Amino acid sequence: MTDITLSPENSLRHGESLFRVRQLQDNVEARPAPSRIAEPTRLNPLPSKAYFFWLMAPAIILLACISIYPFFWMIYMSLHEVDIGSATWNNFENFTKLFTDTRYLKGWALLFQYSLMCLALQIGIGVFLAVVLNGARFEKVLVTALLMPMMMAPIVAGLVWYFLYNGTFGWYHWLFQSLGLLDAKSILASPNTAMLGIVLVDVWQWTPLITLITLAGLKRVPQDQLEANMVDGASPLRNFFSVTLPNLYPVLLIAVMLRFMDNFRFIDSALVLTGGGPGNATKILPIYLFEVSFKFFKLGRGAAIALTLLVVTIILGMILVKVFDRQQTRKT
Amino acid sequence: MARVTFRNVWKKYGDFAAVKDLNIDCPDGTFLSILGPSGCGKSSTMRMVAGLEHISAGDILFDDKRINDLAPKDRDVAMVFENYALYPHKSVFENMANPLKLRGQDTGRIKDRVTQAAKLLEIGHLLERRPQELSGGQKQRVAIGRAIVREPKLFLFDEPIAHLDAKLRAHMRGEIKHMQRTLGTTMVYVTHDQLEAMSMADQIAVMHEGELQQLGSPREVYNKPVNAWVAGFVGEPAMNFLTCELTREADRLSLSHPNFSLALKPDQAGCLNGSAGTVRMGVRPDALAISMTRPAEPVITGEVFVTELLGGDMIVEVQLADARIRVKTAPEFAGSPGEACYLSVNRDKWHAFDIDTGRAYF
Repeated sequence: MTDITLSPENSLRHGESLFRVRQLQDNVEARPAPSRIAEPTRLNPLPSKAYFFWLMAPAIILLACISIYPFFWMIYMSLHEVDIGSATWNNFENFTKLFTDTRYLKGWALLFQYSLMCLALQIGIGVFLAVVLNGARFEKVLVTALLMPMMMAPIVAGLVWYFLYNGTFGWYHWLFQSLGLLDAKSILASPNTAMLGIVLVDVWQWTPLITLITLAGLKRVPQDQLEANMVDGASPLRNFFSVTLPNLYPVLLIAVMLRFMDNFRFIDSALVLTGGGPGNATKILPIYLFEVSFKFFKLGRGAAIALTLLVVTIILGMILVKVFDRQQTRKT
Repeated sequence: MARVTFRNVWKKYGDFAAVKDLNIDCPDGTFLSILGPSGCGKSSTMRMVAGLEHISAGDILFDDKRINDLAPKDRDVAMVFENYALYPHKSVFENMANPLKLRGQDTGRIKDRVTQAAKLLEIGHLLERRPQELSGGQKQRVAIGRAIVREPKLFLFDEPIAHLDAKLRAHMRGEIKHMQRTLGTTMVYVTHDQLEAMSMADQIAVMHEGELQQLGSPREVYNKPVNAWVAGFVGEPAMNFLTCELTREADRLSLSHPNFSLALKPDQAGCLNGSAGTVRMGVRPDALAISMTRPAEPVITGEVFVTELLGGDMIVEVQLADARIRVKTAPEFAGSPGEACYLSVNRDKWHAFDIDTGRAYF
């Protein structure tokens, strides 16, 4: 047979079938005759729904007390002019006024700016560190050391950085100045740089979380896919982008979800560092909310702001969960 | 297409030597199967060829060109992995297109090659699917498709059908062999399944504990094993081994055992010349014939221990004084456990091995 010397090119052109799969299916997978087994007349009972309800009741009741009751109380407040001991209905004024409140709208813009800057830096640096640390010597020791910032209370972290940024004796301030990055003023004192100042603290504290999650993800990247891609002809860098990174998407999505929700809620360090200043340069929405409610004691308006913040968080969260679900269904 | 040469190749992990002084010459277009139990170094050997493992000592050559220091992407080999290693985030088409894309081929040509290869493998209707939506057999064909879209110098198949169910595996053996013959590309095929190696390969390299035991055609490995280990590993059911004494009476050399004493043929006696004492006799289950009636020339007497019906064949285990041996016979065999039976040996197909080294005398 001359076929034996055919190059793949030739045999491909001939379009000759090398695999007689259809024949196999016809031969091997002959269908059995239709079933004649009768259905059982009685099924064994499942536990009743009430049983499951009572099992969950303690958790539901606890949740209702600490979470659901305050939630409805917040909705109630958001619809009223609230004073100590009194609440008067004010025709959604708390909400309608928000649309003309420039500081509220600016708060949103700053919040997104803050959140995106944090996420971008944390994901970038976090993934880079994870790749460097993965399989390195002393990996465990280094990771443990890296996790230290996360163990610090955010308010303490804020205070520490407050001193490091200090314009007269702050070590980082001296460093930035020596590098020519700053003039005499502290990073927190100038409206142009203050946002970066609070972002850096968040990045310092929470990048380790991203690194930790990414490291766990890296351990699960299938070795044989990386090797297959190498044999297919990929360079190491190409291999990272076409195999490692796609395998990391699910864990990175979880990381993004966690961090963006935290950024919308945790303002401890920012509050300590700038309190929203200078001017309103870092007055992200949660800080503004804090001011309205607990400095000006406009509890009704504060509740309205909180409610909008909550709704947006939920919507963004749902979008991320959707994306995540799509990733998962693709996988299985 | 290429000729592959292993020249004194070693693979060491610290102090442990996974592959020891391997020398194989695999001519262009050959289907070479590396056969051995797990941990024998066969996968390390293949991974060194692919460039996924560093070659500790020695050289691997493609067409007399040393490839030790080439990166996997520059070796121009195509590999099929045990677990298929398909990219889950890419469609079947993208999976198969990957090697071409990475080599910068233009889109039109990629599309041509992939659709042709897919047609060849009868997976054309699956191109838009993702690997998770495929069955094991389909995934395996996609993995093969990814290997054949290019014209590599060499195919490396690492137990590619080990995870398929038995029927599909038997089917794929024939298909892969046919594919390799048609494309004419040199193939290194790693397996622990001696049946796969026997049925597909032109040359089998049997490895054990990092050492090459025997290199030869399936027939040679089966009929002329170089040592007791190869003899025992290749063949199913496995070869029977019995410890025998060499006895000499009136210039005739015989193998003696509590159950029998059988004369060697003159040329076999010649192979044993000079040696004396104890040897291991080896005989395959299909080189023995069993009968419940004493034949004219009685040979081995024993009693039936258990019978196993395998459909077309029957395996009878026979109890001897100090051992049990297995005999392959026709399913009509009617002996029941405990009954006396008589075995005759095809003396062209028996073997004798050194009791200490396991080296084959004949």
